[in-house]
Formats: sequence, C-alpha cells, structure tokens
Amino acid sequence: MKILIAVASKEYSGPTLRVGMQIAKALNASTTIVDVAEKANKFNSKVVGLAQERMDSWEFDRPGIDVLEWAFNFLAENNYIAPTMIEAGFSTNMLVEIGENRSEVFLKGTVCKDVQLILRNGDIIAELRDEVKQGHYNVTIIGGSGKRRMAHDLIQYIDSSIFVVNQFDPNQKYRILLAVDDSTGTKGAVKFGVRVAQAFKIDVDILTVSKVDRFGDGYKGAAEKAGKFMRRAGIQYQNIYRVGDPSEIIKKEAGDNHIVIMGASSKNPLMKFFKGSKPLKVMEDCPCPILIVK
Amino acid sequence: MLGFSRSSLTNFLFWVTQKKWFLITIVVGIILVLLPTPSGLTLEGYRIIIIVITALMMIITEPIPLPAVAIYILVFEVILGINDADGIAHSFMNDAVFFIMGSLMLSVAIIKQGWDKQIALGIITLTGNKTKNIVFGFTAISAILSSFIGEHTVAAIMLPIGMTLIRFTSEDKDRVKGLSAVLLFSIAYGALIGSIGTPSGGGRNVIMMSYFHDFGLSISYLEWMIKVYPLVIVQIPIISWVLLKSFVPEYDHLDTGVRKLIVQVAKSPNMTGRNTVAAFIFLLVFLGWVFLSETYGLGTIALFGVFLYLVAGFVKWEDLSKNTHWGVILLFGATISLGSNINDTGAALWLANQVVNLFGTIMNSFPFAVDTIIIVMTTTMANVLSSSATVAVLGPITLNLGENAMHLGLVTAIASAFGYFTAVAAPACTIVYSSGLVGAKDFLKVGWRVGLISMILLVLYANTYWLIIN
Repeated sequence: MKILIAVASKEYSGPTLRVGMQIAKALNASTTIVDVAEKANKFNSKVVGLAQERMDSWEFDRPGIDVLEWAFNFLAENNYIAPTMIEAGFSTNMLVEIGENRSEVFLKGTVCKDVQLILRNGDIIAELRDEVKQGHYNVTIIGGSGKRRMAHDLIQYIDSSIFVVNQFDPNQKYRILLAVDDSTGTKGAVKFGVRVAQAFKIDVDILTVSKVDRFGDGYKGAAEKAGKFMRRAGIQYQNIYRVGDPSEIIKKEAGDNHIVIMGASSKNPLMKFFKGSKPLKVMEDCPCPILIVK
Repeated sequence: MLGFSRSSLTNFLFWVTQKKWFLITIVVGIILVLLPTPSGLTLEGYRIIIIVITALMMIITEPIPLPAVAIYILVFEVILGINDADGIAHSFMNDAVFFIMGSLMLSVAIIKQGWDKQIALGIITLTGNKTKNIVFGFTAISAILSSFIGEHTVAAIMLPIGMTLIRFTSEDKDRVKGLSAVLLFSIAYGALIGSIGTPSGGGRNVIMMSYFHDFGLSISYLEWMIKVYPLVIVQIPIISWVLLKSFVPEYDHLDTGVRKLIVQVAKSPNMTGRNTVAAFIFLLVFLGWVFLSETYGLGTIALFGVFLYLVAGFVKWEDLSKNTHWGVILLFGATISLGSNINDTGAALWLANQVVNLFGTIMNSFPFAVDTIIIVMTTTMANVLSSSATVAVLGPITLNLGENAMHLGLVTAIASAFGYFTAVAAPACTIVYSSGLVGAKDFLKVGWRVGLISMILLVLYANTYWLIIN
C-alpha cells in the first residue's frame, strides 16, 4: 500500500497530515508527503530563480521548504521517523533535486515502511497527477477545498483513490458511512471500508439509496455482501436503506460524525466531464471527510 | 468508446482542461477570420489584429509555453500573408531585441558578482536605523540602480537585503507584517519607478526608441534622462510616503536588525580587485550607452558588456545560458515584429482612429485627455501582460494618436512601468512576491494608490515640465 499526503501549509494542513499519518500507520503503508508550491509565471521564472540563488547565499530557504520542515517536525514529534533522523534534524542539504520542479527528502520510517518528503512547484492538479503516476500510489489524501473545479479535477484526473480530509474534528467519534450500490466501484469501497474500520476500530453504517421506491436485486445484493464482509472481519455494522436523491441522502446521513466511503463513478469519463458524478456531488456537499475508492 | 480506453479519454480530457484557453483562443481566432474585414482596414491589417488578439490571449493565460506563442506569431504572420518570410524575419530582429538579450545576460553577470552585501552596507550607512529613512533609502537606491541595470536585477539584489533586515528584526513573521510589506514594496516599486529614468532601465524603453526611429524621430540616452529622470526623483519620496501610510511598520527603529545586518555583512569577503574590475566593465557599458548608443545602438553595447564579462571570466557561459530566458527573448522579438507589422499594414492607424472615434468627444473637451487615455490603456495592459510586450503592441497605435509622437511615445513607455497592481505584472513585483511575505491582496491594496498617484503625476509632469524644457 502506498499513500500520498498532499499538504499546503502548517496553518491549514495540520488535520490532513495527522489523519494521513494515522491511516498510513494503521495500514503500514509506504508514505509520501508532498507540498505543491506556487510557480512563478513563465515570463519571470528565470529572474525569480536568480533572485532565489541570491537568497540562498544569505541563507534563506526557498518557498515550500518551511512546509517540509514543519512536516518533518510533525513526524519527529510523533516518532514516525527513525530516532537517528530526529536527532540530526531537518536540513536543506537533505533535499535531492530530481527534475526542474521536484525535490525529495528520504526518511527512514518507524511505524510505516518509509517516509518521503517531496516539494514540487506548479499547478496542484498537474503535479499531483504526475506524482501519483510516477509513484503508483493507492490513495491520495488531501485537505478540503471549497472550489468545485478542484474537487472535480481531483476525482477525474488523479489515478488513485482520493481521501478528502474535509472539516475533520479530532475530538469527534467518527463512524464510517459506506455507500453501496450495484456499481463496479462498490467492491473496492467495501474492501477499503473494512480495512479502515479494522484499523481504527470504528463501526460502519452501510447505506443503500434507491432513487425509486424499490430496491432491486443488485442493490440488495451489494448491501448484503458488504454486511457479510463486515461480519467476517468482526466489525459492528448496520444496514440502512433509504429512498431519494443519493447525494442528498448521503449528505443527510453523514452529518458531521461520519467518514463517507464510496466507490468512484463507473460512468464514461466524457459523461463525468460534462455531467459530473455522484461522488463529485457528495464531495462538494458533505461537511465531513470522504474517501472515493478507485 | 470509439475504441478509446478510459485512460486515453481521461488523458485527453486532462489535456483539454489544461489547454482550455488555447482551445478558446483557436475558436476566437477562427470566428474573427470568418468575420468580414472592417471597413477602412486592409485584409493584412485585419489579419495582424487577429494575430495580436490571439497572441495576447495566450500570453496572458499561458496555456502553452511562451516560445510557442512567439513561434505562432512568426509562422502565422507568414501564413496569413502579412509579409513574406524574409520580411517577417527582418522585422523580428533589431537593436531592441539585441538590447533585451544583452540586458538579460548582463543582469545574470551582475547578480553573480554578489554586490548585494556591499549595497546593504551602503544603504545602512546612509540611512541609519530609523525605519522611515530605511524605507526611503530602499526606494531611492532601488530606483537609482534600476535606471541603469534594470528592475529585475535590482529586485534580485535587494530582496535578500530586505529579507535579512526583516528576519533580524523578528523571526516571528506575524510580528513584522507591516515592516515586511513596506520594505519589500519599497524595493519592487522603487525598481519600477526607476526603470523609466533611462533607456537602459527596461526593454520597453528601447522598443519605444526603435518605434521613434521608424517614425523618423530620435532621442539620445542623455535627452531621455533629461526628459524623464526628474519624474523618478519626484516619485521617490512620494511613493515612500504612500507605502508608509499604507502599511504601518511595527518598529520605528530597527536597531537590532541593522546591527545584526552589519555584523553579517562584515563576515562576508571584502570588495576584491575582481569586484572592482566587474564594476568598471559595467561603468564602461553605461558610458557606451550615454555617448555611443546613437552610433552603435544600445543593444550592441549591452552585448559588448556581456562579451567583456565572458572574456574576463566573471561569468560562465553555462550560467548565462541557464539563467537567461531565451523564450522571453524570442517572444519579445515576435511582439516587436507584430508591432512593426501593425504599423506597416496600416492597422495601427486604423486602431488609433477607432480610439479617436470612441473618445473623440472627451479628447476635445478635456485637457490632457489623450495622455490620460494612453496612460489608462497602457497601465491596464501592462498589469496583465508584460510591460515590454505592452509597448511593443500599443506603441505603434499610441504614436498615431496625435501630432506630437515623441510626447505620446514617452508617455506610453513611462506608463508601461506602472505595473503596481498585480504580483505578475513586473519582474520586480514577482520577485518580491516569491518571498512569501507579501500576498496578492497587498499588491492591490497599495497598488491602486501608487498607480493613481503615478498616473496623475505623469499627466501633470508631461504637460508642464516637457513644455518648459522644450
């Protein structure tokens, strides 16, 4: 299992990093923390590079290094990295430049296999997409953003499952709301739901929503199969059946004390591009963390 | 779907998302090509206007690399029959392009000399530790230096000095927000207001000089300075004052910061013979610009300076090659070609007539209306585009807006430096923004004040001082 955690700043990305590392620890996943910093416009990129060279000579760090340092300190404080590395502390010398827009810091992990810090520069979606492609990550964890376009692009173009740490409250006792239907994405969502529920020892609500006042065999079968999985894994669960608009019902059932897990839409990419999808609607509307499994 | 896998469809849609402005530009271009040629405009003139519109859309939205936009301009100028291949190639290269190339390389050579520590000491010795004086000192030094070595060179040299002073005053960024803003903007805006002072202050000035030449006018380096430099001097205290009113520094005196800065500078190597020779080479270039530019051209002299730096071994070709933005040079060449062809096809005159038709009543009713219209147009465009590209495209139009082309051209060149409003408008602003200590909102907050004052000053200055000295 490989996890990518996208952070932006210590002011906004604390919950994302905390939850991301908890998941990485629970799943013993190889973990990468990435910060995508802004890139100077094309006109001025070279002169900004020159200015940054002068800044280096005055011992100033490049933008984005402070975010990596903050992430390093978080890992050190929580003993996610080897004691020798904690003792040595963070230094810009640890950064290895790979390509024009990408620098890496390799760290030896403790609770998860290994931890990597990466600094990239450029458009956030393009850089995350490239990183996921290069690193073959299973899950990308990112903080919530109010921008509809951002949510759409994340789901549409990032080739991994997406966990959006939206309005996460560390004091809240969360349950999992596992949305199931007869789509191909449900199987992956159930498997992931089991792993997360086991790792965090939390209960699961299996939600099946039908638009019409009748539940077909496909829907019923999916809910029963999900229940069977939970039972076998020893997870407390309950089946909930509702009729109505799926995204509205999911939003209502999720409230603010659920982590929503659902499969990615199996619609054609062109249809999703123009008409959107159920997971996108849920991601936009739900005031809680949500995992879209691909 | 039609044999395409989900993955290839997703890749295609991602490309569409990333390149949407390119696709929109193509659609706009096709629609414009299909529309009838406006009356009074030649077919070539209409086509060059279409290239201008589409190229500007791509420069502003950046969906494709800048060199690709340059190539688009050159190729379509030939394909659409604006001129033959030789004619376009000829319009692409002139002394202004040489100057932009030379000044970008000179900038690398100068920045590599590491004069920032000596400059830091010089400023602090002059200003002492009073914040107000330091802000004035930063603005003045940035302005004076940028008149000669270009705004981005100055911003790159001055930024670490400002940042060091801020860091030594307090490590907690929240406790020095006002101080950070006032010092960093004094560097950026100082560099901008100074860049108008001499022809070598920016590529846009040299582009305008080349248009003057096309209009049968000429202005020497010294004549430019006599006409424009007093405006630089007037603006320095005013801009410093506006900055201090817009951002209140947390400290009246920077005792600790200044003391630590002096200690840090003292630790660095003293001025060496090598530094002196490097400075002497730049002095030679400057004297060449002042006394020989009418014979040899500003660009040739700038390139001669680069040649001397290379021969003396003060800069490596690898460094010059790596840090010079060749794509920008290509793009400026292309925009200068656009400007030249806008003029030759009669499109410039037609566009100027449209402006006169649109604002004719205002132009006839209010004094300085033409200047005001030019300043507003140029400033607006310079804040979303680049100042040099703005002058390259607008220059031929504004020169046709009245009788006194020299007056109109200088107003255009000066107004193109008013890129105060956005972080992306001018290289100096982008460099300061890259520090992370000032945000895009800060540029708007102070930019409109500085911009408005600069616009009013320019109108008054151009219609009083220039009349007196003429």
